[in-house]
Amino acid sequence: MLSECKSKLTEKKEWLARLELVPPKHVRLKFCKVGTLQYISHLDLQRAFNRILVRACIPVWYTQGFNPHIKLVFSTPLSVGSQSVCEYLDIRLSRDISFEEIKRRLNAEMTDEFYILDAYTPENDFSQIAYASYEIRIHTAGASDELADRVKNALTAAPINMIKKGKAGEREIDIVPLIKSVDVAYDGENKEILIKTVLSASSSQYLNPEMLISALKERTEILSGNPTAEYYSIMRTELKKEDMSEFF
Amino acid sequence: MKENISSILKSVSKPGRYSGGEYGQIIKDKESVKARFAFCFPDTYEIGMSNLGMRILYGVLNEEEDVWCERVYNPWIDMQDKMREHNIPLTACESGDPLTSFDMIGFTLQYEMSYTNVLNMLELAHIPLRASERDDSMPIVIGGGPCAYNPEPVADFFDLFNIGEGEEMLPELCRLYIKMKEDGSYTKEAYLHEAARSIVGIYVPSLYEVTYNPDGTVKAYTPKYDDVPKTVQKRIISDMDKAYFPQKVVMPYIETVHDRIMLEVFRGCIRGCRFCQAGIIYRPVREKSAETLNEQAKCLFESTGYDEISLTSLSISDYTQLEKLTTNLLEWTDENMVSLSLPSLRVDSFTKELMDKIATVRSSSLTFAPEAGTQRLRDVINKNVREDDLLRAVSVAFDAGKNAVKLYFMNGLPTETYEDIEGIATLASHVIDAYYRCEGRNRAKKPQVTISVSCFIPKPFTPFQWEAQDTLEELAEKQEYLGSKITDRKIRYTYHDAKVSRIEAVLARGDRRLADALELACREGFKFDAWDECFDYDRWISVFERTGVDPAFYANRAFGLDEVLPWDVIDCGVTKSFLRRERDRAYAESTTPHCREKCSGCGANKLGGKGTCCPNAKVN
Repeated sequence: MLSECKSKLTEKKEWLARLELVPPKHVRLKFCKVGTLQYISHLDLQRAFNRILVRACIPVWYTQGFNPHIKLVFSTPLSVGSQSVCEYLDIRLSRDISFEEIKRRLNAEMTDEFYILDAYTPENDFSQIAYASYEIRIHTAGASDELADRVKNALTAAPINMIKKGKAGEREIDIVPLIKSVDVAYDGENKEILIKTVLSASSSQYLNPEMLISALKERTEILSGNPTAEYYSIMRTELKKEDMSEFF
Repeated sequence: MKENISSILKSVSKPGRYSGGEYGQIIKDKESVKARFAFCFPDTYEIGMSNLGMRILYGVLNEEEDVWCERVYNPWIDMQDKMREHNIPLTACESGDPLTSFDMIGFTLQYEMSYTNVLNMLELAHIPLRASERDDSMPIVIGGGPCAYNPEPVADFFDLFNIGEGEEMLPELCRLYIKMKEDGSYTKEAYLHEAARSIVGIYVPSLYEVTYNPDGTVKAYTPKYDDVPKTVQKRIISDMDKAYFPQKVVMPYIETVHDRIMLEVFRGCIRGCRFCQAGIIYRPVREKSAETLNEQAKCLFESTGYDEISLTSLSISDYTQLEKLTTNLLEWTDENMVSLSLPSLRVDSFTKELMDKIATVRSSSLTFAPEAGTQRLRDVINKNVREDDLLRAVSVAFDAGKNAVKLYFMNGLPTETYEDIEGIATLASHVIDAYYRCEGRNRAKKPQVTISVSCFIPKPFTPFQWEAQDTLEELAEKQEYLGSKITDRKIRYTYHDAKVSRIEAVLARGDRRLADALELACREGFKFDAWDECFDYDRWISVFERTGVDPAFYANRAFGLDEVLPWDVIDCGVTKSFLRRERDRAYAESTTPHCREKCSGCGANKLGGKGTCCPNAKVN
């Protein structure tokens, strides 16, 4: 049986010590979170990133307080049940290391459902995020061009009053003003309804794409049958600034 | 497979329990492996993912190139409801395949109250509960873990049990399975017979006939074949430094109970507290060296990124190289923001120095277990802790600015009197007094002593295995009496539900005649009985009544000293005559020195093992 275990911790620390010390240097990581990772909450994701950064030996900067910790700043959180190919995380480094090296090291500690797409110096901050684009696919037996039209109508006929649960309790809001655009098509190949939509995603005006699903369940018959035969997926594809240009 | 349950996962609490996809999970090509093993933990994901044994065995089985071991946990009730509603069978985390497509299913039996979950999981997997109802197309169902030392209450549901440590036994079972499948000699019956015959530690209940006396006690265990051992000897790993060690572990995304590095320092215990099953069944003591452990801890830190290392073993302060190990660990843990925690401290070895080490990065809570309130009763149970030791230990903590300690006790121990119970309250108030005598105490805070009192449960393979458990009424009266003796609001008093302890006693000392009751419990939807919100005593009693089981026969009866015990078919290494001697010494209020002080000839040394407790062991 295998039992030999030889730690490389000393070598790793020596390598780190050779890197040039720098004042806290900001790095933005763009990552994807797809497949089974859609079921992992934002809080759990933060904890996972802490461990990944440590495993990858990234020279992260620790806060200097009584309880030092790694400073992580995420862009608009993704709710459980949604996937994304455009998540962002800002970290700070205490030593200099190339972006390629950061990406390579992190991806060695991640999976094919959760990995770094890019690492670079951020040129803006997360407050500039105004919208998020989503692709929602609904797998349903009755999928057709006709159903696609009805879905489109259901999502554009104002008002769509929905209960929004917030910190201050529940309140009813009309979600139509938060829907910047919505296109619905029937994808004959996959027998799915495909919704491409752009929703408000600023910190004060955030619309959870699940709301659209809830609205559809109220206004149409879709997703009311057997959940193993009818299902849907939500993919966040791009974040946008107020002028609709891509946020990165 | 996974895609079409997405709607269901989106509708249940904590779907991360069921989705798999963790970093470190092992994926193999199911077409090219020769045996698929589903390792089942009969409780929630959060608890199962925290189990060190499962981490080890998952790793050890996957070391076999042609074996693929996957993980399975019991889905929480909301998920189970959905699964039943839509006829979705129980599946494994890695492949998402149903359990019926596996060759072997292994359950770890960590506590008796999880038995209903075992049956619940088989039912969810659409697998017949009883071994006799499963044909050759069904997976082999294997049990192991501490409760397998008395496997009899669940014997009818398992094809075979692993007695003892599984690191060698499980791969051997898989190799035998693959060999017999390949040479065409496999039938379930032939396989079970061959495993029982050729692999030490394998107990196949169907190969033993049990007969009973008119008074309901066991008469005899008779093997059905001459080449099957009369008693099954437990397996141990002899050299812990060379034992398989999982360098990589599956990293849970959702928060689990023990979400940290668990560094197994040694197996066994030198102490021999007379109520403690773990202290007997894991003998002999086998330590890992401080060098090995330091290296393993570093490797685990590198492969996990965890920020806490917990040194695990039954009584960590009995580790002979603790000073060296903690010093070596602190050389690198501090600068890497990793904290140390020691979960099992004995008061007689708790020092300022030790506390400083474990409190370097984060403070950790302090818990001690005097177990009994008076010296007399502590001598009976062989706790070998004196009041002075406790007061000294808490003073160390108080002087360092801590103000809260938690103390564990037990009610219902053999020979317990009301004086002993009052002693718990007295001891707690002495701890409060000690606080005010400490110069270094935190003067801004009041002391807080929590006393948590559980109920004594007679367990197989302990010197108290023959004892009767107190009745519910007696236990309730004792709990109430202790409450009346605690008047100081700085003392917080909590106690365990005696009803749970009674059912646990039945399941711990039961025999095969409990099978009908467990099956009925499963059919009536019993699950998660270790969870307060699910446990229902009256329903248990109803199930026992309808299946002709008298719970008092197993829980509240003093077993005869010459009676054949249901677990006599198992040999844990420690002899019955040793347990009997210890029982006599208990009644004589006489303590037994620990194994390093003097060998008391328990018998476990016959199993071998490097670095054992007593180099000059007595030979029985």
